[in-house]
Amino acid sequence: MEKQEFKIKWGMVIDLDKCTGCGACMVSCQVENNIAPQQDASNKLRTLTWMNVFEMNNGQAFPDHEIAYLPRPCMQCGSPACVPVCPVVATDKNEEGGIVSQIYPRCIGCRYCMGACPYHARYFNWDDPVFPAGMEKTLSPNTSARPRGVVEKCSFCHTRWGRAKERARKEGVDTMDMPQEWYQTACTTACPGGVIQFGDVNNPKHSVYELVRSKYAFRLLERLGLDPQVWYVSKREWVRMLGDNYLESEKAKKHA
Amino acid sequence: MGLDRRAFVQLAVGGVVGTLFTPIPWKLADDAAIWSQNWPWIAKVTKGEIAFKNAISKFCPSGCAVSVRTVEGAPTLVQGSKDNPLSQGGVCPACAAGAQLLYSPARVKGPMKKTQAGFEPITWDEALTTLSAKLSAVKGKDGKVAMVSGDQTGTTSEVFSAFVAALGSQDFYLMPSEGQVAGKAWSIMGGTGKVGFDLKNADFVLLVGADAFESWGPMVRNKKTFGSKRPVGQPNQATYVYAGPVRNRTAAVCDQYVPVPADSLTAFALGLAAQLVQAGKSIDTADFADFKAMLGNFSADKVEKLSGVKAAVLADLAKKLASAKAPLVIAGSPFGQGEGAATFIAGAAVNLLLGQVNKPGGMKVFADFAPVVKGAATAKKLTEASFADYLSKVEKGKASPEVLLVYEANPAYGLPQAEAMSKVMEKIPFVVSFSTFLDETAQKAQLILPNPHPLERLDDLATPYGYSRAAYLVSLPVIKPVADAKPTPDLILGLAAKLGLDLGFSTYQDVLKAKTEAVGASWGDVSKGKLFASDVTKDVSGLNLATAVLAKAAIPNRDPAYPLALAPLAQLNVGTSALATAPQALVTIRDTELLGNDMFVQVCAETAKANGLSQGAKVKLTSSQGECVARVNVSETVMPGTVAAPLGFGRTAWDKFTRGKGDNLSKVLALSPEPGTNVSVWSDTRVKIAKI
Repeated sequence: MEKQEFKIKWGMVIDLDKCTGCGACMVSCQVENNIAPQQDASNKLRTLTWMNVFEMNNGQAFPDHEIAYLPRPCMQCGSPACVPVCPVVATDKNEEGGIVSQIYPRCIGCRYCMGACPYHARYFNWDDPVFPAGMEKTLSPNTSARPRGVVEKCSFCHTRWGRAKERARKEGVDTMDMPQEWYQTACTTACPGGVIQFGDVNNPKHSVYELVRSKYAFRLLERLGLDPQVWYVSKREWVRMLGDNYLESEKAKKHA
Repeated sequence: MGLDRRAFVQLAVGGVVGTLFTPIPWKLADDAAIWSQNWPWIAKVTKGEIAFKNAISKFCPSGCAVSVRTVEGAPTLVQGSKDNPLSQGGVCPACAAGAQLLYSPARVKGPMKKTQAGFEPITWDEALTTLSAKLSAVKGKDGKVAMVSGDQTGTTSEVFSAFVAALGSQDFYLMPSEGQVAGKAWSIMGGTGKVGFDLKNADFVLLVGADAFESWGPMVRNKKTFGSKRPVGQPNQATYVYAGPVRNRTAAVCDQYVPVPADSLTAFALGLAAQLVQAGKSIDTADFADFKAMLGNFSADKVEKLSGVKAAVLADLAKKLASAKAPLVIAGSPFGQGEGAATFIAGAAVNLLLGQVNKPGGMKVFADFAPVVKGAATAKKLTEASFADYLSKVEKGKASPEVLLVYEANPAYGLPQAEAMSKVMEKIPFVVSFSTFLDETAQKAQLILPNPHPLERLDDLATPYGYSRAAYLVSLPVIKPVADAKPTPDLILGLAAKLGLDLGFSTYQDVLKAKTEAVGASWGDVSKGKLFASDVTKDVSGLNLATAVLAKAAIPNRDPAYPLALAPLAQLNVGTSALATAPQALVTIRDTELLGNDMFVQVCAETAKANGLSQGAKVKLTSSQGECVARVNVSETVMPGTVAAPLGFGRTAWDKFTRGKGDNLSKVLALSPEPGTNVSVWSDTRVKIAKI
């Protein structure tokens, strides 16, 4: 798909040198996006984890074995692989900010998008959401609960952006140039380590503007050319190298 | 004019083509798509006024200062409170699921009593009359009533300890914690007040065992501080080193990892002390000469023999500590409990040698807040009373309580030697559980009087262990109880009045107001979520270095019958002893930690090979006190000769989300008295592993 550019580009920068894999971002994501708990969450083919934290290592034996944790939301690609394969335009990248939409009522559950996404960021609802009795009273007002048979994914907590824009209009602030803290995703605010930063990477007033330009910043599978809007930062070379796939014969010494 | 066949076909085709140029079929198709997903059994979200309220969430041992988002008054999201220095906007994975836990299937819906047929709902009147009669029968009889609490930071301890004392017993206990051992160790050193650690101003932090980003101290504050000292893409403002048996979550982000077996942490810290003394550092205490002489047994070579840490690594670390501007050593348990006093003392000695006590970036000592409830136990007394030791006394018949009150604690599951401890509790005729959830202890109780969920109650939080300042915070209820629960401290105050005991207060709110005043804080501020914090430190002259204790306790005692060291992993997303994994946190557990109903223990390839184990093999871990089963995950994060295993699985109560998953590692943890102090220790538990 042709790369799409907008004036605002919502982006996430995740510092892998600080993440301890505690899972607070995942829990907040589950809560904010009304993902119903499953009795057996160890079957990872059935869980819905819009934000998922993976464990990576440098392949060495003890004591040189290093580990890093990689939180993986939807990459909100600039040239998403999922959009052109959708037969019903249930997913699109057509809005200011560059968040890849997912329109549940349109989704026919064909899962072509899941096959196309190289980041495994999309999930299929095998079951209707069932919350323990009473727990539906604690549902987040920001996301509708999805029925079985549709694909879902991280939306960068899109409704929060809507609310931030409402606030901007009320307070007479330009919706295209809002303070960074007005729109933050649930995982960003929850993180106890300050690992995740979120903002408009085109806005010099937002911290992420500089961060994505850091020499330590990289994106996952960058060579596929999907132009993700999620950046990772690590000073550890082996971590950056794991950001892409390299053939044995390649002499890559550096990632990105 | 007739309608011939040609005209009919023309009309029909024209009609169909015509409708395609109208929005009708497209709108109908769109509506059909929407309505085909709009089933009544799909939960609808609540719309309405959104508000944010500050509160305290006590699902983690330190407590999180949180901001709760409500919709039409109902909590929907628990986030960190931005302006509170304890959370700085972050939240731990246990508290993050707090709003949903209001409706946990494991919640106790109302008061219940145990009958032959199981638990039976009763009225509060009946519950309180029964309890009052039981307590009235033991009133004034020494040692007939005991109480244990899992609230490490609240003024509830004052109400409960005063109540138990007024009934004529001294048996009030807190569940084992890091802070309890640190308090005891500090007393042994002749120290008074409370100890904290100034991470914010430290530029070199050595964590000896202490899993600071998971189970040691206020993890959110620790991680926020760590994050702020390491701005993205810029040079680090502080160096962090972790020393312990597993490259755990904390070690994963530290600059350096030093493998040290759990039973050698004290020796390792003393090795550093020896290097610093050799470099000319000293401490102004009366027993320094003895201490210096004792350090002769902890030269770099000797420590290498004891712990496996290379002499050069030890010397290099000592140099780095000595040359840092604001070095800090934090010594503690790798899983938040069970460490002996000696490790803390050795860590404190290194801080003293570095001159880093009551200095920016160092160890801080400040006064405890004075108790306000008449007859309440002092903080010092609470650090000295061990519930595990008490149950051992009950087992041996040296104590014979008739009533045991359990508040927000789950000793039947979470104490070391859990199975044996649970059996001992069965010897106590009347156990009352004040638990929000139907946990393993509540299931054993004769009476369950549910306490409100943290967001439903008035609560407070005084200086979580590890925080560098004396701090105080109050939390007002965010929502009325959604179950038929009543606040335990108010119940106890009511019972006290009924039994004619004078605790000086009739409501818990009055207690907290008095506490706020005694602390020197403003009720208007602390009850709105503004943390009161004092930087006033306490004089530390007159300390001793407990040389005799260190000399005895630092030498590991390894029983060859149990060839492997056990390294328990305490991870908040899995839960705590008092909280089984929250439903929304289940997805955070990897399938190399729990698969189906099998939990995994971790060993490195070398240990796996030596024990004939392969990935996925089913094994039994056996210690001198108990056993548990698991599968093997080969992970190079664990040092050879050690098996790492998760705490928090193997629930027998709770709900369908947690019951029957994995095994309870606490059954394996074996108590032993620490030489020199007699503190009960279980961080040095050893096991054997066998395929089954």
